[in-house]
Amino acid sequence: MPAQINADGLLPFLAILGRPLAAGDEVVLDFSELRRVTPAGLVALVATVVRWRREHHPMTFAGLKTCSILGYLQRMDVFKTCGVELQETFQRHEAKGRFVPVRFIDHQISAMGTDLAGCLAPGGEEYGHPMCDLYDLSWYVLTEIANNVRQHSHGLGYVSAQVNRTEGFVRLALADNGCGILKSFQDAGFKWSEGMTDAEAICKALEPTVSSKGSPTNEGVGLTLVAGLVRQTKSWLMIVSGCGVLQIGNDLKPKAVNLPDGARYQGTLVVMTFRQQNVRDYASLLHAAKTNVGLLQRSGKAIRFLP
Amino acid sequence: MNLELSIREHFGSHLADGAKAAEFRLGRIDPYVEICPQIILDFTGVRNANSSFINALVAGLIEQHNVSVLKKVVFKGCNPSIQVLIQAAVELGVQKIAGRVNA
Repeated sequence: MPAQINADGLLPFLAILGRPLAAGDEVVLDFSELRRVTPAGLVALVATVVRWRREHHPMTFAGLKTCSILGYLQRMDVFKTCGVELQETFQRHEAKGRFVPVRFIDHQISAMGTDLAGCLAPGGEEYGHPMCDLYDLSWYVLTEIANNVRQHSHGLGYVSAQVNRTEGFVRLALADNGCGILKSFQDAGFKWSEGMTDAEAICKALEPTVSSKGSPTNEGVGLTLVAGLVRQTKSWLMIVSGCGVLQIGNDLKPKAVNLPDGARYQGTLVVMTFRQQNVRDYASLLHAAKTNVGLLQRSGKAIRFLP
Repeated sequence: MNLELSIREHFGSHLADGAKAAEFRLGRIDPYVEICPQIILDFTGVRNANSSFINALVAGLIEQHNVSVLKKVVFKGCNPSIQVLIQAAVELGVQKIAGRVNA
């Protein structure tokens, strides 16, 4: 494991996780040098370890005694979700308002969203609370992406998040170890996906009403709106799937690249960093995000709302 | 007789599952569109919803019965973000009828 798995170190780390393995190859994860890891690194690691276990690769977790962030990794439930039992020599404190440990994405998407949004924005479930917009936005992006994980990936998904109060950032990450976006399109029989690269498939997934699941349960606007909310709040989004990487940053334009060294991440990873100070008036953010992608016309239809 | 359905009673205060919304529409709304003069979808007490849920509920309704169904359907107790989601879902339904969307 590298020392830093943060914004700069994430893609090289994913390239390491994506190294091809032959049947029966042993995997040794050495934690001795690891000093810093973001939620994105944690969920990508857990999703990959679970996949390796499913493929029956023997695994060794080495260097734990000298790992300076062992307690942090334990608090984030990294080993627990990887199926490794370690004795805890510390007392767990309230995670609310600080972090969300790595959590398996099960079928209870709504409850998961409620738990996680409540953890990232404590008190925000109350209307008018200073955290309510962050609560609503977190709930929306978490449930939409988690729905995608459940419906499209054919793999297992994990979520984690962290609040950095000093910098005013909220970091959210969801990873699965499934088939990836391109394969999902190809399996759905979309002719236009033939010959596409992974990066092109990610770009396509951001277009409104593109979905491999389809009506009525998934109209293909979830990821589009997540990207729209990222743009509206001048935040940051990264999607990794197969060899492809797509990032939306400060200039709001999507940039598509490939993972270094020809590597391939088996599954899909979605990483978002929201600036807390920009998350204000969630309904207006949602309205602008929908309007910008043509999902909401200014004329409106004769919809009757009663108080 | 009017039909009034409490969304919160059926799904709770947070609505995320499009499959459940589609099932609800098929079983609890679609059969009554022709026989009830008014259908009230009551969102009172609903705190959050995502596009997956509201699109499956509302866009599907428009697609199935045309935009004229809005003469019968009333949305009650919606907070501002739910209103945005409903407006967008109606738009999606209209676009699907017009063949501009193939989802």
